[in-house]
Amino acid sequence: MSIPTFTGLQTALSGLQASQAAIDTTGENISNANTPGYTRQVVNTGENAPMTISAVNQQGAGTQLGTGVDIASISRMRDQFLDIQYRAQNTSTSNANTNATQLQQVQTAVNEPSTNGLQSQLSAFWSSWSSLANDPTSQAAQEAVINAGQTLAQTFNSVSSQMSTVQSQAGQQYATLTGATGQVQQDASQIATLNGQIAAATSAGQTPNTLLDQRDQLLDDLSGLAQVSVTNQSNGSVTVNFGDAATPLINGTTVTWPQTLTSAAGGQLGALLNLSSSSGPIGQDVSSLDNVASEVISSVNALQPSNPFFSGTSASTIAVSATASTIQTSSSSTSGADLAQSVANLSGGSADQSYAAFVAQIGNGVQAAQSTQSTAQSLLTAIGNQRQSVSGVSLDEEMTNLIQYQQAYQASARVMNTINTVLNSLINTAGSGL
Amino acid sequence: MFVGRITTQMTTQQVLGNINSIQDQLATTQEELSTGKSINQPSDNPYGASLAVQLNTDLAGLSTYTNNVTDGTAWTQAATSSLTNVSSMLQRVQALVVQASNGAESPSDLAATASEVNQLTDAIKQEANTQYNGQYIFSGTATGTAPYSSATGDVYQGNSSAVTREIGPNSSLQVNADISQLLGSGQGSGDGKLLDALRTISSDLTSGTSASVADLQSNQLNNLQNSLNTLEGLQATVGAAENRLTLASTRIQDLQTSDTAALSNTEDANMAATMTAYSNEQAAFTAALRAGANIVQSSLMDFLT
Repeated sequence: MSIPTFTGLQTALSGLQASQAAIDTTGENISNANTPGYTRQVVNTGENAPMTISAVNQQGAGTQLGTGVDIASISRMRDQFLDIQYRAQNTSTSNANTNATQLQQVQTAVNEPSTNGLQSQLSAFWSSWSSLANDPTSQAAQEAVINAGQTLAQTFNSVSSQMSTVQSQAGQQYATLTGATGQVQQDASQIATLNGQIAAATSAGQTPNTLLDQRDQLLDDLSGLAQVSVTNQSNGSVTVNFGDAATPLINGTTVTWPQTLTSAAGGQLGALLNLSSSSGPIGQDVSSLDNVASEVISSVNALQPSNPFFSGTSASTIAVSATASTIQTSSSSTSGADLAQSVANLSGGSADQSYAAFVAQIGNGVQAAQSTQSTAQSLLTAIGNQRQSVSGVSLDEEMTNLIQYQQAYQASARVMNTINTVLNSLINTAGSGL
Repeated sequence: MFVGRITTQMTTQQVLGNINSIQDQLATTQEELSTGKSINQPSDNPYGASLAVQLNTDLAGLSTYTNNVTDGTAWTQAATSSLTNVSSMLQRVQALVVQASNGAESPSDLAATASEVNQLTDAIKQEANTQYNGQYIFSGTATGTAPYSSATGDVYQGNSSAVTREIGPNSSLQVNADISQLLGSGQGSGDGKLLDALRTISSDLTSGTSASVADLQSNQLNNLQNSLNTLEGLQATVGAAENRLTLASTRIQDLQTSDTAALSNTEDANMAATMTAYSNEQAAFTAALRAGANIVQSSLMDFLT
């Protein structure tokens, strides 16, 4: 069997087409170099099936002649194990970010060390009692005690209410994110839609790179809210388990939401649940402040036996119930100032010490949250870089490829030109005698 | 740094991330410089913040003690000055009685002496009613009640309780003197103390009989001498309190100095070190910006024709 006349033209054409596809893909990569979630694409080429030709002199066994190149597929450069690592780290990083941000707000509410925080109000209160002890019958000194007490109580109230506000805002944020129009619902329904489209394309034998990129991007997004576990199905769709929800959030095109999560869900939602719970870090800070307040209330009231100075039991409820005329300065019916002096002597006592411990507790909480945050952030950057290293677009690399593909295209064109010349001489020169 | 395939986005993000982190550091240092404090939130140094809170409480306590010392010193000074006046009047009475008891004075002289003694008695009672800041300093803890008033005669109206000032942790000091030990409760009580003695002297002088002159000589001079001794005792007590207050004031100042130094060590920024760090960070920031500008700009495209 001899070689068909136009085989060379077809071979050169396949080379032109492969180079063109490669150049187009390079163009796509360059265009999307900065698109979030874009995965670098490559053209996978393979040899065309060869044709068998017989030996020219009928003495050999014949041989196989290559017939050019075939574009097998255009695929995404993606490592799904890096995706798993990235999403797990994204969950912890977003958890740490949320914790640090919210706890910092609590710290701002406490406003220490400063000259107008609770510490200075407490000191001013004790000092007003000392002045009263020095001049027990002075009405001005009595009024000063009442005023200092009221300022102290109001400062306790406002610090406590600011802390509780941060706590309840965390709960509201959780409700917004998980609500009917919240991010979870939106991401999940988009992923479910994409699942359907991808499954359809896959069954048609296509590789829907763009849809896959979009779905991966949404899964990254979802992993910031709570931990996700993604299972690939044979039809190209994914099943997604979300946080510690009982049923998979997405199964094929089905979305099961809302579901109950706990703080073990991780991510932003887990952190918000933990922060809004009364046993969470903010709840603990609030109850520590309540302890300081109740220590102040009970120690002062114990020294005002017939008429309690403070009412309330916690930082949010503390208020001055005494008036200037009901303050007891002395335990005996005769005048004196032993009670006033005893209250003044509470300065630097257990209430002040509890408060200093409370400040340390707040500081330690924020410091720990911040250092967790910065560690988590650097880990996320590191894994993100690894993933980028596989999937990201390097313009230098694309430019190099572009030159390579351009040269290949030009070479294929040259081959075609040569064949043309050869055929030309065959047809015009060899046939000119006819 | 991860070694492998480096993409354009990685380079950009790396540069941006580094610039951000240097800027973050710069902001922190700037806050330290502008507030002069290295602890601006408890999280900057939780232990230090809690220590600063405690030291501030201590300092507030010390300033309360300083107020108490100042107040106590004013009390003792008022008491000292009153007692000194009483002492000089008492000596004048003593001189008058010595003069009257030698029997050479005429009845009119004695009457004149009696009237001077009466006036001195009133003046002594006036001194006993000295007030500081609206409080009677010789009434014990009944500071709202005058110890002696014309309405209640010579009977002591105060109590014998101690008025104290807290001058340190668990350290209180009596700043008043019990003047009833000196003045007593007048003629009616017959306690032989100063007011009783003065009234008796006055009536002895007014009657002018030889028996009364003898009483002056034998009993009243003796009573006056006893009163003088008691007065000296009171003056010594008050003086000692004043000395202790001065000592306490010095001690509190020392404590304030050391607490303030400790507070400054805890929460104040080391300006020299912070300034140096700031210059370094700024240099690093400029370098990062310049390097970033160069790195991000150059690519293979610059060299392809």
